[in-house]
Amino acid sequence: MGILLFISVLLVAACGLIYELVAGTLASYLVGDSVFQFSTIIGTYLFAMGIGSALSRYLNRGLVYRFVWIELLLGVIGGFSSALLMLAFAFTQGFELILYALVIVMGVLVGLEIPLLMRIVKDRYEFRDVIAHVLTFDYLGALGASLLFPILLVPRLGLVRSAMLFGLINAGVALWTTYLFSAQLSGTRTLRIACVVVLCGLGVGMADARRITATAEDNIYADDIIFARDTRYQHLVLTRFKDDLRLFLNSHLQFSSRDEYRYHEALIHPGLAAVSTPRHVLVLGGGDGLAVREILKYPQIESITLVDLDPEMTKLFSTHPMLTKLNDKSFLSPRVHIINADAFPWVDSNTDSFDFIVIDFPDPTNYSLGKLYTTAFYRAVARHLSTQGLMVVQSTSPMFARDSFWCIAQTLKQSGLQTYPYHVYVPSFGEWGFVLASTHDYTPPTSLPSGLRFINVEGLPALFQFPPDMAPLPMPPNQLNSQVLVRTYENDWKDISH
Amino acid sequence: MKVGRRKFLRSGSAALVGLSLKTDRPIAGSFVNDSFQMGHLLRDRASFPPPKRMEKFPIVIVGGGIAGLSAAWRLRKRGFTDFVLLEMNPQAGGNARWGENEITAYPWAAHYVPVPGPKAEYVRELFEDLGVLKNGQWEERNLCFAPQERLFIYGRWQDGLEPAVGLTQKDRDQFQHLEDLFTKFRASGEFTIPLELGHSSKYQDLDRVSFSDWLQQQDCDSRLVNWYMNYVCRDDYGALAKDTSAWAGVHYFSSREAEEKGPLTWPEGNGWITRRLLERVGEHVRTNQMVHHIVETKRGVSVFAGDTEFQSEFVIFAAPTFLASYLVEGFPRLHDFVYSPWLTANLTLERLPDSRGAEPTWDTVFLDSPTLGYVDATHQSLRTHIDRTVWTFYWALAEGTPAQNRQLLLDKDWNYWKEAILHDLERVHSDIRQCISRIDVMRMGHAMIRPAVGSVFSEERRRFTRRDTRLLFANSDLSGISIFEEAQYHGVLAAQAALKRLGGHR
Repeated sequence: MGILLFISVLLVAACGLIYELVAGTLASYLVGDSVFQFSTIIGTYLFAMGIGSALSRYLNRGLVYRFVWIELLLGVIGGFSSALLMLAFAFTQGFELILYALVIVMGVLVGLEIPLLMRIVKDRYEFRDVIAHVLTFDYLGALGASLLFPILLVPRLGLVRSAMLFGLINAGVALWTTYLFSAQLSGTRTLRIACVVVLCGLGVGMADARRITATAEDNIYADDIIFARDTRYQHLVLTRFKDDLRLFLNSHLQFSSRDEYRYHEALIHPGLAAVSTPRHVLVLGGGDGLAVREILKYPQIESITLVDLDPEMTKLFSTHPMLTKLNDKSFLSPRVHIINADAFPWVDSNTDSFDFIVIDFPDPTNYSLGKLYTTAFYRAVARHLSTQGLMVVQSTSPMFARDSFWCIAQTLKQSGLQTYPYHVYVPSFGEWGFVLASTHDYTPPTSLPSGLRFINVEGLPALFQFPPDMAPLPMPPNQLNSQVLVRTYENDWKDISH
Repeated sequence: MKVGRRKFLRSGSAALVGLSLKTDRPIAGSFVNDSFQMGHLLRDRASFPPPKRMEKFPIVIVGGGIAGLSAAWRLRKRGFTDFVLLEMNPQAGGNARWGENEITAYPWAAHYVPVPGPKAEYVRELFEDLGVLKNGQWEERNLCFAPQERLFIYGRWQDGLEPAVGLTQKDRDQFQHLEDLFTKFRASGEFTIPLELGHSSKYQDLDRVSFSDWLQQQDCDSRLVNWYMNYVCRDDYGALAKDTSAWAGVHYFSSREAEEKGPLTWPEGNGWITRRLLERVGEHVRTNQMVHHIVETKRGVSVFAGDTEFQSEFVIFAAPTFLASYLVEGFPRLHDFVYSPWLTANLTLERLPDSRGAEPTWDTVFLDSPTLGYVDATHQSLRTHIDRTVWTFYWALAEGTPAQNRQLLLDKDWNYWKEAILHDLERVHSDIRQCISRIDVMRMGHAMIRPAVGSVFSEERRRFTRRDTRLLFANSDLSGISIFEEAQYHGVLAAQAALKRLGGHR
């Protein structure tokens, strides 16, 4: 009987450590900052164990009976702890509260176990042997658990089922104890029934764990990731939630299919519809084909040249059924010519002229992209404008990056162009701004292609009005040797996020 | 096949090691552009064949660096075409030579020109010719892009090269004190570029002490201040502050406006200027023409190169002036011309190394390194996506005497320098060995004139700027400092002097 008893000490110790590790790991996964999470959880857990040990002195009679109940309680709470925490994170605001409450409850229960066990066996051995044997197996169990957890349990079973497996072990020890100490127990029948109920509950939980995890994860990562790839140039992720497709480049949202029409109609039509006879159009960036979709609404246009760095991007938007549906197969039009090249050198080496030029690059988040927002670049682009030509530049948010927006406008002005800044509201982006630029006066168009959902002739003049909180600011132009825009942009967003 | 237990264990452990260690990339490369073999022929007075052919030019330019090319540019601009330029190396350019591979063009030495001030009128004229200066505006594409410089200091990066991290109040006070002094010197108008236009004997005392002694006199004992002042002297003069004239040290800081937006730079460094000059004067340039003898005759000057005698009326001697002692018959030995030995290397990177989170800059320097760090040739590229590049690595061998270091350059093999360069870079870019595929090393025994104590106001040096002989000197070493503006200035003045006196003759 001795060795069997000490094996239950070992198992009980392993369970205790596993619950602690599960809580720490989950908190690190979900909240982040693993050092902080593990430190505070281990600390709280050990402190709660201390409380448990202190409380053990108030348990005087029916020690075995109480031990069995403690094991059962631990089996249920510890076993379901992981599932409970995931659901709490997904569906409640109080994840931390539930986390630490659980850690304290489990800690108290685990803290009760060893003192009780020692007292149960104290009459069979000498005191020094009790201490030596119980603690030896306690620490052995801890070692086993700490090795099993990262090597086998997490990779094979996952966090939810690992916790449940050890819940089963706790309940198993409870059941086993009713046989081991049947002489010291009364009401063993009720206890055994309780044990079987808990075991069954955890068993069903094990079998169904996948559904619990899936339910929770769906709520944590709102959207399904339907495509993710590291191309030579960028990290490209496409997500879907119901009917909403979203594209992220290097984690920056590029569009949401629910409202991208607002962005792309605003990008194209105020400028393009104002060109009297547009025949040749140039798009720099815009590898999603959505701007081209809007440009194709003008039947008189003979050619659209699109220059985008990343061939994988333009290929994806030429072939993926979900995406070609979104851009109306714009890249498959015989009027569209796709060139995969770096924009600045291409603009420098090409000599064609265009009636409308769209500059739709990612925001100037680094010095490389910053080169595409300089007077040197705009001067080079402006050389491609035909006599009636207009160009439009996506210019970040005049609301959230007000300095940056007016810096881009000033840069275009400094490049010898007349500028006409305007803005629209795109729900997934917020207020968003564009700058039209040309070498001649611009007046908003009096007619637009049919079938637009957002831009209309009556609403156009209002787009060029800036309320006080987005009003022009005096900013220096962005130049290759200063790159003030990159720093400005960084500061603008820092102000928002802190 | 039976695999012995040992072999099995060994391959097994090799497989395990393979998992944990990334293998280094094989690094190719060699010494390139060596020219000391030719120099040593002259030094050792080797015998050269007697001339078989004779050609006549009113003006012969010896040396195809910036001074020689600038002389040629001036002659052409004045409509004078009856001249020839003789260059010893296969490629003209001197310290403004460049190289090119499938990734980018890159410099072999000089890699920038500070935005010239109003006194440097010939430099401004040249840049107007080259389209760099248009209607008073500097072409944005030729100004160094941001971010320009970074210093690796105390395990992190800072913007700019003057230490700004971890300064004590004492350090800050000393930097400020020096800045105030340099501002005063600047206001005096004595420290100009070109140097000849400003300097009088007013601050001649500064030329009698070393820059480090002068710093001591100013109570500047801060370690960081001294590191920075030494860095500046190594970078511009190839010398430590203790081997540099205090006048030259002050000139570095007081000759340019405090607020300048430059410098002007190109992927191939000043090689870009060489290329543009060669487009204009290339038809007069003959490379692989080692001049081995120059004799003044009654009617003019004869220049012997290879098996040809070039008979001329005036020779513009644009090669380093110390060579005149070996080339020109009856020429005295020179004492005040000390040259600093340098080593540069071009490193081909197949991918960008780990840079501890920093975005690449144009110039990168490490605090307390014996080297001068490196310059990124693709920094001036207009591309947004750059995954391969070339770094030009600079190393002025300033510790010890120039003679010792020239010997070191001759003694050590390519592998030695390759490892020394990698060690230096590895301190900051831990995975650099996995990024570099090629290291080409260029050794220059007499890379640049050194403004040693007493040399700026040296009478021996002054003699050469009088331009009253048939032999007109033009190298930047006439100024005692080796910078583009001085080389160009002396080249232009020599050309003008030759034209003027030719006009007088005819």
